[in-house]
Amino acid sequence: MLIESIIHYIYIALAGIFGIMLLVKVFKREKRQGIVYDIVYAYCCVPFLMRLLGIK
Amino acid sequence: MDYTVLEVVIIFVAMAATFVLGSKYLKSTEISMALAGVVAIIFSTLHGWTTTPVKLLVEGLFTNMDLAMTFICATIFINIYSSSGAMTTITRNIVERINNKWLILICMGILMLIPGAITGAGSVSVFVLGTLVYSIVRFMGVSEKKATAFVFMFAIFSAACPPINLWTMLMTAQANMPYVGFELLLLLPIIIAGAFTILYCGWGSKRAPKEEILATLPEVNAKMYGFGGLVRVLLPLLTLVVLFVLTLVIPFSMPVLGLPLMFIICTVVAILCNPNKTSVKEYAKVISDTMEQVFPLVATVLSVGIMQNAMAASGVKGLIGTAFVLLPFVWIYALILIVGPFAQGSMSYGSAVVIGTPLIFMFNTAGMNVTVVCAALSLIFPIGDCLPPSRIVGRLVLEATDYKDTYTSFLKQIFVPCLVFGLLALIMLIKPAWFTFLA
Repeated sequence: MLIESIIHYIYIALAGIFGIMLLVKVFKREKRQGIVYDIVYAYCCVPFLMRLLGIK
Repeated sequence: MDYTVLEVVIIFVAMAATFVLGSKYLKSTEISMALAGVVAIIFSTLHGWTTTPVKLLVEGLFTNMDLAMTFICATIFINIYSSSGAMTTITRNIVERINNKWLILICMGILMLIPGAITGAGSVSVFVLGTLVYSIVRFMGVSEKKATAFVFMFAIFSAACPPINLWTMLMTAQANMPYVGFELLLLLPIIIAGAFTILYCGWGSKRAPKEEILATLPEVNAKMYGFGGLVRVLLPLLTLVVLFVLTLVIPFSMPVLGLPLMFIICTVVAILCNPNKTSVKEYAKVISDTMEQVFPLVATVLSVGIMQNAMAASGVKGLIGTAFVLLPFVWIYALILIVGPFAQGSMSYGSAVVIGTPLIFMFNTAGMNVTVVCAALSLIFPIGDCLPPSRIVGRLVLEATDYKDTYTSFLKQIFVPCLVFGLLALIMLIKPAWFTFLA
């Protein structure tokens, strides 16, 4: 169905937006500074970016 | 596969040690959970139980990704909705119109139950109403700690409340039982425990004078008053309720929107209803701040996903499940109020699958009413939403209420109402025959 496909693409777009925002926060953020949270931010943006790239 | 129970126990101990050491030295529970998962996957790889360790890690990140999306979208909605002054308007109206403290507390309790009852997730109740309910309960003279406990308790009640109880649904689906006859069985203990929670939190508190409360609330745009204001305040929330209800009432005629998209639709409605002149840049700032605000939670659910996947691959998940369900009945009764909530804390909804379903089969062989047993277990698991390692709803409540004290002090505060709720469920579990008339 067309509507289902549109919803599917909206979700991919949302995942992409959130993934890019998280990626930006790896380098520039106000709270939770430090290398530990650099790592946490880095692995947390992975599933969102993979969804955007259509890998999974 | 050639692995023994002892080897799985070693992995379990290694995971627990990694989590404790990580929490202590790295000061981040999120990375500690992910590291615990990595340790389990390394052990599994070294034993030759898996040849794709990286795949396990990455797939683990996807386990709770939908939940993370829901959290982000819900927080964006509520922050944009609040930025219009809608929350302050609702608070002002309630304080102005209702004078009885107990009546307000009951109204707040019922209000908190609705979002979670419809979606099956207590976190949604906290996102949508947590901050609002907290501020109103505080105005009733309830202390900061007890008001936080109030929000948490009603959040977990809302998750357990019918019509949607995810633990019951998971267990019934696995045990080939119909999801029928649970309404009163779930609702009655929630009403009793809810009444106790209201008394526990509200006892001895003294409502501040109306004028004093109103003076502390920020002023809102004049357009938020009158009929137009009512529409502006209610329309975003109403849209959410209508979307929730439509998915329940006409599931086959309605496209599957999913919770994140529902919240995004409501965000658009909230933006349209905003009487303030807010620029795109200001909205972008709200969204950017939201990402930082909600990040600990997103990181928690994604890290829990890694850990869950690692536990499943290494056999630790199965070990916990089988070790518990093979105990004699008396030990199950003695330990269920500890094991059930902690299983929820570590496996989230997986607790219903790993521990709940085998227990249903066990109780069934003993000739007990499995509908009552299933309902009782569904009331026990939500208590674990405040327990480590995940602490999802607990952390969310602390974020929503801007709780200043330690997490342990929060746990102490909710202990008594949680115990009452747990004991009610335990009575149902021990004597299911007494409650058959409710099924």
